[in-house]
Amino acid sequence: MTASEVVEVDGHIIDSLILAKVLDVILDAGGDYRILEVDIGRTSVDPSRARLEVTALDEDALAALLAELQIHGANRVDQADAAVEPAEVDGVLPAGFYATTNLPTQVRRGGHWVDVDNPEMDCALVILPDGRVRTAPMHRVRAGDPVVVGRTGVRVQALERPRGATPFEFMNSEVSSEKPKEQLVARVADRIKAAKATGGKVLAVCGPAVVHTGAAPDVAALVRAGIIDVLFAGNGFATHDIESNVLGTSLGVPLGDGLPPEGGHSNHLRVINEVRRRGSIAAAVRDGYIAGGVMYECVQHGVPFVLGGSVRDDGPLPDVFTDVVEAADAMRAQLPGVAVALMLASTLHAIATGNVLPAGVETYCVDINQAVVTKLADRGSHQALGIVTDVGLFLSTLAAHLL
Amino acid sequence: MSALPWGRRFLMCPPEHFGVLYEINPWMHREVTVDLDRAREQWGDLVATLVEAGAEVELLEPQPGLPDLVFTANAGTVNRGRYVPSRFRHPYRQPEVAFDVAWFDGHGYDVVELPEGVGHEGAGDALPFGHAFLSGYKSRSDAAAHGPLSTLLGAPVRPIELVDDRLYHLDLTFCPLDDRRVMVAPHAWDRYGCKVVEALVPEPLVLSDDEMLAFCANSVVVGSTVVMASCPPPVGRQLEAWGFDVAVVGVDEFQKAGGGCRCLTLALDVATPAGAGPRPSTETAAAR
Repeated sequence: MTASEVVEVDGHIIDSLILAKVLDVILDAGGDYRILEVDIGRTSVDPSRARLEVTALDEDALAALLAELQIHGANRVDQADAAVEPAEVDGVLPAGFYATTNLPTQVRRGGHWVDVDNPEMDCALVILPDGRVRTAPMHRVRAGDPVVVGRTGVRVQALERPRGATPFEFMNSEVSSEKPKEQLVARVADRIKAAKATGGKVLAVCGPAVVHTGAAPDVAALVRAGIIDVLFAGNGFATHDIESNVLGTSLGVPLGDGLPPEGGHSNHLRVINEVRRRGSIAAAVRDGYIAGGVMYECVQHGVPFVLGGSVRDDGPLPDVFTDVVEAADAMRAQLPGVAVALMLASTLHAIATGNVLPAGVETYCVDINQAVVTKLADRGSHQALGIVTDVGLFLSTLAAHLL
Repeated sequence: MSALPWGRRFLMCPPEHFGVLYEINPWMHREVTVDLDRAREQWGDLVATLVEAGAEVELLEPQPGLPDLVFTANAGTVNRGRYVPSRFRHPYRQPEVAFDVAWFDGHGYDVVELPEGVGHEGAGDALPFGHAFLSGYKSRSDAAAHGPLSTLLGAPVRPIELVDDRLYHLDLTFCPLDDRRVMVAPHAWDRYGCKVVEALVPEPLVLSDDEMLAFCANSVVVGSTVVMASCPPPVGRQLEAWGFDVAVVGVDEFQKAGGGCRCLTLALDVATPAGAGPRPSTETAAAR
């Protein structure tokens, strides 16, 4: 991240060419500036004042540039360090704690801006013993942890829009079902290729509808091809994926002819029971009980998955986190390196994932229901691009582009 | 054209305790001995010459341990009865301020101080020309001082960057002669400063390197008399052509400390015209 600082220069800076000189000094040093405010004296007696945001390549370059600017009377606008208070009790933040956004954030410590390691919304900022700053959800804070309080000495950076034609351009418009889907999917495919080319990971968040719409084989193929690197889902998706592969039904309905067989309503319970008997999905794959599907491919290709549980789960599968706090932490652990997130027909897991994703992750939310897409944005995941369409259609088109 | 409206009343300090006791500019060398008798004689000549030219001289009492108190140009900046004490960069000179302030306080001046933390070395770095002051910065004064100084003096202050260590104060590079003419040493300024002076001064007398290092710009002007430490022939010819009388007063004992005639005096009668003067030519603003 580049480093920047606000400086102010005043006096007879126009007639004496000091402002011109200051701007030249910044550019000559390879820096850049943004004029935040200029107040030009009405007559030649009245002083003028300019406030500039100076940007340099890194902290060192900025420090050198600021020292040079100071010689010409352009001084850093006084900015205080962030205030810090220790947490008094485990899991409880000091009153007045700074509540984070998912945007890149910096904290001022000892006169320097320090990047926050892992931007995440609705967290606190904790100063680590080595001086780094991390976001921490409330429950993770321990008594004595230094927590940033108030807004002084904290700044967030708006995301720069990627230049050129990207699907992100669509984000400027309302979510709509009336968009040419084929073209949109092709662009998502291009963004995924671009992310993979630079070593970025792709996260898929799947709802049960992925299985019901018959798109699970496409997801399985994307996992097998190494395109999907991380999977988040719930008990439902994993269960139906396994059920459809073991028994050929999804929630008791055969994916082939769609005619419900007798007793089919208990198929998913029997499948969960058998996986529980084996101790884990991986164990069920190893002994041949599960011989195909998304979960099978994840196990076979070492793709990590996090299954978050809910109150209404049957079973659940042995791999499901039944403690929501542990589930969220397990999801966080998988986020480093993720560049693209695909939210596939999932309301609750999409929102849960949106809560822990930094704003810099390109997020595509695919749902037949416009409300899901809107809800994600309303909850602060402004980076999400909504694609209102049938998830089965989306995935088969995407797979065709990528495989 | 008309003569400078200031330069008829000066503050000076007898060189009883003068010497080169430390080194804070490239002219100073502690191994060089000052001939104090000769210094007294030269200082006396300067006073006599100024008085003969029509100026009054007020005296500041010399203080032991403050050898540079003799350079009253650095006591502060004066405008319309207001006095802004200097804030010296070097600790050696900082104790001078209390004695300077006491004198101005005792003589009815309105003493107003610069904010803490910004340095400015008085008339040594700030000379009036027209309705504004030109002020040097970098070697001794801070660029950040100009805003507050302007407010305190009630006049625009235009900072000029000094780029030659040997010419560490503006008064070694800029010497107003009358309302249109100034002896200038552009080699001592950066290109922005040169543009600013170019836009400000209708008729400059541009000094060569040798002339500026001979302290030509550190002269004192009393009406039509220019009191100089030395007068190289080209400078003398131009001054005479413009109708000035040149009076040469040897001050080489003081040059051992980097000071000339101007450094030994502080004009007490500076009064820039109140109100807005003209902006420098529009070309200046477009100079970028």
